[in-house]
Amino acid sequence: MLITAAIVTGLGLGSMYGLLALGFYITYSVSSTVNFSQGSSMMLGAVLAYAFVVTWGWYPPLGILTALVLCGVYGLAVERFAVRPFVRRDSNAWLMATVAVGILVDNIVLFTFGKEPRRFPSPLADMPVSIADVGVYPLQLVIPVVGLALAAALHVLSRRTKYGKALLAVVQNPDAARLMGINVSGAIAASFAISTIFAGIAGILIAPLFNVNSDMGTLFGIKAFAVAILGGITSAWGVMLAGLVFGIVEALVTVLFGSVYTQIVMFALIIVALALMPNGLLGRAGVKKV
Amino acid sequence: MTLQTSRRALLGAGAAVALLAMAPAAQAQDIKFGLVAALSGQSARAGEAITRGLTVAVEEINAKGGILGGRKIVLLRRDDESNPSKGLIAARELIQREKVAALFGGLDTPVSLAIVPLANSEKVPFMGTWAAGTPITKNGANPNFVFRVSAVDEIVDQAIVKYSVRHYSAKNPGMILVNNPWGESNEQGLKAALTASNMKYAGIEKFEGNELDVVPQLSRLKASGADVLYLVGNVGPSAQVVKSLDKMAWKVPVVSHWGPAGGRFTELAGPSAANVHFVQTYSFFGDLSPKGKQVLDMLMKKYPDYKGPGDITPAVGVANAYDSAQLVALAIQAAGSTDGDKVREGFYKIESYDGLIKKFAKPFTPQNHDAVTADDYVWTQFINDQIIPIKH
Amino acid sequence: MKPLALLGAATLFAAAAALCFVADGYQLFVIATVGLTAVVGLGLNVLLGLAGQVSLGHVGFYAIGAYTVAILQTKLGVSFWLALPVAAILSAIVGTILAIPSLRVRGPYLAMITIAFGFIIEHGAVEWRALTGGATGILNIPDPGLFGLKLDDKPLALVIVGVTAIATFLYWVFARSAWGAAMRAARDAETASESLGLNLVAIRTAAFTLSAAAAGIAGAFSVPLTNFVAPSAFPFFQSILFLLAVIIGGAGTVLGPLIGAVVVVLLPEYLAFLAEYRLLFFGGLLLVVLWVAPEGIVGAVARHLRRADERPPRPGVDIERFLHERADGGNLEIRGLSVAFGGVRAAHDITLMARPGQVTSIIGPNGAGKTTVLNLLCGFYRPDAGSIRLADIDLTGKPSYEIARAGIARTYQTTQLFGQMPVLDNLLIALRRGNLGLSISPLRAGGDDGETARLAESLLGFVGYRGAVERLAGSLPHVDKRLVEIARALATGPRVLVLDEPAAGLGAGDKTTLAALLRKIADTGVAVVLVEHDMGLVMGISDHVVVLDAGARIAAGTAAEVRVNPAVRKAYLGEDMKLAAAPRAPSGPRAPVLQTGDLVAGYGAEPVLKGITVSVGAGEMVAVLGANGAGKSTLMKALSGLRRPVQGTITLEGQDIATLPAHRIVGHGLILVPEGRQVFPELSVLDNIRLGAFSRSDGDIEQDVEAALQRFPRLRERISSRAGLLSGGEQQMLAVARGLMARPKILLLDEPSLGLAPQLVNDLFGAFARLRDEGTTILLVDQMAGLALALADRGYVIESGRTVHEGTPEEIRNNPALEQAYLGSAA
Repeated sequence: MLITAAIVTGLGLGSMYGLLALGFYITYSVSSTVNFSQGSSMMLGAVLAYAFVVTWGWYPPLGILTALVLCGVYGLAVERFAVRPFVRRDSNAWLMATVAVGILVDNIVLFTFGKEPRRFPSPLADMPVSIADVGVYPLQLVIPVVGLALAAALHVLSRRTKYGKALLAVVQNPDAARLMGINVSGAIAASFAISTIFAGIAGILIAPLFNVNSDMGTLFGIKAFAVAILGGITSAWGVMLAGLVFGIVEALVTVLFGSVYTQIVMFALIIVALALMPNGLLGRAGVKKV
Repeated sequence: MTLQTSRRALLGAGAAVALLAMAPAAQAQDIKFGLVAALSGQSARAGEAITRGLTVAVEEINAKGGILGGRKIVLLRRDDESNPSKGLIAARELIQREKVAALFGGLDTPVSLAIVPLANSEKVPFMGTWAAGTPITKNGANPNFVFRVSAVDEIVDQAIVKYSVRHYSAKNPGMILVNNPWGESNEQGLKAALTASNMKYAGIEKFEGNELDVVPQLSRLKASGADVLYLVGNVGPSAQVVKSLDKMAWKVPVVSHWGPAGGRFTELAGPSAANVHFVQTYSFFGDLSPKGKQVLDMLMKKYPDYKGPGDITPAVGVANAYDSAQLVALAIQAAGSTDGDKVREGFYKIESYDGLIKKFAKPFTPQNHDAVTADDYVWTQFINDQIIPIKH
Repeated sequence: MKPLALLGAATLFAAAAALCFVADGYQLFVIATVGLTAVVGLGLNVLLGLAGQVSLGHVGFYAIGAYTVAILQTKLGVSFWLALPVAAILSAIVGTILAIPSLRVRGPYLAMITIAFGFIIEHGAVEWRALTGGATGILNIPDPGLFGLKLDDKPLALVIVGVTAIATFLYWVFARSAWGAAMRAARDAETASESLGLNLVAIRTAAFTLSAAAAGIAGAFSVPLTNFVAPSAFPFFQSILFLLAVIIGGAGTVLGPLIGAVVVVLLPEYLAFLAEYRLLFFGGLLLVVLWVAPEGIVGAVARHLRRADERPPRPGVDIERFLHERADGGNLEIRGLSVAFGGVRAAHDITLMARPGQVTSIIGPNGAGKTTVLNLLCGFYRPDAGSIRLADIDLTGKPSYEIARAGIARTYQTTQLFGQMPVLDNLLIALRRGNLGLSISPLRAGGDDGETARLAESLLGFVGYRGAVERLAGSLPHVDKRLVEIARALATGPRVLVLDEPAAGLGAGDKTTLAALLRKIADTGVAVVLVEHDMGLVMGISDHVVVLDAGARIAAGTAAEVRVNPAVRKAYLGEDMKLAAAPRAPSGPRAPVLQTGDLVAGYGAEPVLKGITVSVGAGEMVAVLGANGAGKSTLMKALSGLRRPVQGTITLEGQDIATLPAHRIVGHGLILVPEGRQVFPELSVLDNIRLGAFSRSDGDIEQDVEAALQRFPRLRERISSRAGLLSGGEQQMLAVARGLMARPKILLLDEPSLGLAPQLVNDLFGAFARLRDEGTTILLVDQMAGLALALADRGYVIESGRTVHEGTPEEIRNNPALEQAYLGSAA
């Protein structure tokens, strides 16, 4: 019973981590950069959706869609102002710049959205249902499905569609991609937009189970980064799998050893895992070219 | 390289000048109150509540002509980001640069504890408005410049244990505590209170402030046979605990510290919010004293986002801050000076003050620097959006 | 940093100390905080600035230092001054331990390990309550005494200023020591530093250890400053601030961390009055500072002040004797060496012997396994079977730095110099032969006139380098990079010198010089092992030639023996080249499709293209010829938009495209098939072909795919395999097919024959001839001038970035001066 509960909880949590981590994967594989404030992007999705749907009473699908579009725009802005200026000058200060953007966004939201946590109502998170004696909100079952579906969609779109293949081409050889007529800086910007939209989706999905406030993404962002790394940041399936594994292990550690040591154990496991598998679970090591 | 050298020297000189130029900019005769609290991040709401309580009190005093014969009070605020190092540097700035007459503390016990030795060595009264850690006021210093108008964890924890035994016949309580200094302080307090009552406990579980799901922790407590839960956490985390209990369909009585009062608990936790019984020092609901009506009125006038008592969250923050500012002003008035030592003596001279929380009578003595005592705690629960005292 | 600048730093610290005497308590606290942040920053600078490793968990080491002092002082009553070294040592030990997992990972993986470390320390401090006091921490820690003086505000701030000054000085000493240089080398070119005998494990571990110790010391001093420790004083965000101090100040500079600490500590203090809005403004100002000076404040200032030192190397030491004295080793013997990657036999049962004083060449068509053998020899790959012996030492399976120390030096196909270090330092670090010692004596011991400096400069002179010794190696022209790399390999005093395609990218004249140099090196008694494509060079200087094909040795002997070996001729030299297509008769003037006017491109004072004027008419096939380095590939990049900005005009069908980016030019119908194929390795052949039509949206794409497959039937056989698995020739066909999918108005072909076996080249040029005959407009650049001229209608010759000749193939062929410049040894 304890173990079942842990696994159900872990699956829901893990797919959230995975979803957020996919955002890291997308930008890293296209541009070798990441938005270090991915947690803030997630929070932004939830806060915007809350503003549209709850505060202003928009038709929910419209509000959620608008929120995601704005998340995408935000991603474009992050790339344009906090990543591109540094990558162009061959500086790795984008790491700091994206952190700074995160500070900015968190605080702007703090002063506009408010300092009080709010609940995002959802019919899927009202009444728990019982599965194998474990109570879950229906939304908790929806989240892994959406997470896996998005990972699968990402996989299929990138391999089956023209623009998906173009993105893969940019990953493999940006200069040659330019020679195909592919707008590489556009593709990189697009990858940031997709990344923040994924984060936004994660935020909106999680909001009804959680509370909406300006720092809801902080811990998630760090854990998602850990998941992206563990998954081997260059493999979409690896990242999603790592998310699920991380979520389940985290819940199991809590159940078996007590919550006091959960954080320490999880972070120690990350170090051990990376020491044993320097390229993550499914990341591929390139043969060293000399 | 000479050019480079001079440029560097210039840079250094610039920094030095800049350092010296950080000069205060308020009128000489104003009396300064300083606040060091978490104003951004997770605890921003609490910091804002304290700010508002202090502001309303200060404005009320100034409108009545100030203190010490017409001197106005100015409030200076600094953000400590819940980091004691930042709190300490901010306290130093307020004390040593701005020469504040009194310092007010915020939510975080570690920050207050870091400031206590400075306040005592600099002889500046330090008034706690929220942080409930026992050693803040009982810090062993003599003379002791630290006072408080807030709950004390140790005493709250005794009340929690007593309440759970009296009303739920608790024999094997489980603790579910937020994983921060506040949670830890109550872990010690609750353990001590249980030992004093010759009781054992089912288990102690911690959870992170922004954890999605507390089911694994609660499952452990349930498995070890907990018959009552002691809850310590801010409003958001407390709501997560209630929702997780719902998911497990575990109907267990929950006795809580004052965390749920910090926001819209019913909205966050759903209908089961009413199952949580929690301790309060003040609430703007129900029949208010004339003082209560007056302050509520001032707050709603000053802050348009306060549309009713339900919006004033956390009410304890506002109320504690309001009363502490009034008490500090009274102490300064009694001292007839802003000299730290005299103000400290001034606190003991306060005979009575008709405050928000209660009618304070001789609130401070050299032995007792805590104005709120065990008798001031009220047990309450959320019914819909209102905090209602529990009648037994 | 020169001594004068050191004096400047000293002035700075003196000013800070003087400030301590007039400052109030708050200012003293701020000064001390700046100092401690700077000390952490200096340590972090060893990691980031020298070793190129990032850490987002340094607050963990800071916390370890603080807790050690706090616990020892309060629980055991140990004096602060005894606890301080314990704190430093403990932090250093933890740093060493953390280095172990960190050595195997890089980039974001390393960032994650350090983040996790920081969190473990923070949470550990909360949970290990008996020792750490839990979340409340340890309070009321007494001020230490010093010579009977209580170390409170003012004396403490003075001590911390002193500690910061010492730390700055130590960083300065360390950064210019051999260890510091070794860290830089490992950062700039990992593999090259290993093959100079540098032990990367030791170097990176040292960086972590030192960096951790500095943070630990700073943390220890934070205890008397604040008189408490608590976990919430060491949040993750603080690690970011530490890193920020280094980046904002300027990573790798001496004063950077100091300036950065001033910014990171003072800025929030200035903004303190903003109360809850402080973080908001801090975040915004950070962005602004980063925008203005992404390489850091000190870095930006230094860039403006850097003076060019153009001094060339001064000879003086007899290098031949230097080499001879060391090259007393026996034979290098490789027996039965085999390795497989994922089932593919990259090298199988390779046996060869390299003797001192001889040039032993390894040749073979592309993909024969030549570089694989070198990598096995140098320890970058582990052999599955076989042995490597140098004289009587068994080197099989040894790590690369040990092999290097045994006397095997190496150069690379693409040069691997330490780009951010001066040329001279590249050699000086190599002269250490991996022996860094325990002392931190400066790399340039004895100054510019020291013995080692003279030796290094003489080595540079010996290989024929005439450039400035103080220039950053990364900014050298290609030829000089090759020479410096050879000089660096020689600096290790090798018994065996291994060169991987040293002539690649060199002009005819440079190749001749190189051949003479290699011979001269061999004559000193060094065993030279050469992998090279240029057969003229190989045949001219080799004493012994080993021929590989498909990972196996197929022949060995003298150059003359190998040349007549039928197996070699079949596998490597192929048939005599006979083009399937004949040149066509010249036709009248045609409407120009592509024209350039005085095209200039390239960065800095020395552009690569200095005025190119070419024109290609509709249906014409034009060849651009020139020696390597003449600017042919740059021209192709400029035309296709990969190289921007350019000056002058590029007109495509009357429209100026000189300012358009590459992806827009494709839409206008100019398609480049780039040098080196550049297929998308992970995509299927079919997807590669389809991507060629990315800019099209008509319905005929599938029809064109079919046409491409008919043109190159071998691609149809491989249609669904990953492009990366194709052979070089197949990849070239794929690249052409992909280019044709855009229905080009003009097709640019850049070095299509590069690295292909003659038979394949023949097939390929046959395909070009068919394209030409179908009326495709083509601009062709190829090293094989004979082939190119056989097909082209017209040709241009460019030299040093200028068009110097234009004419029919006949005219160009008959011009002796051009033959001298270009066809000299390539024909």
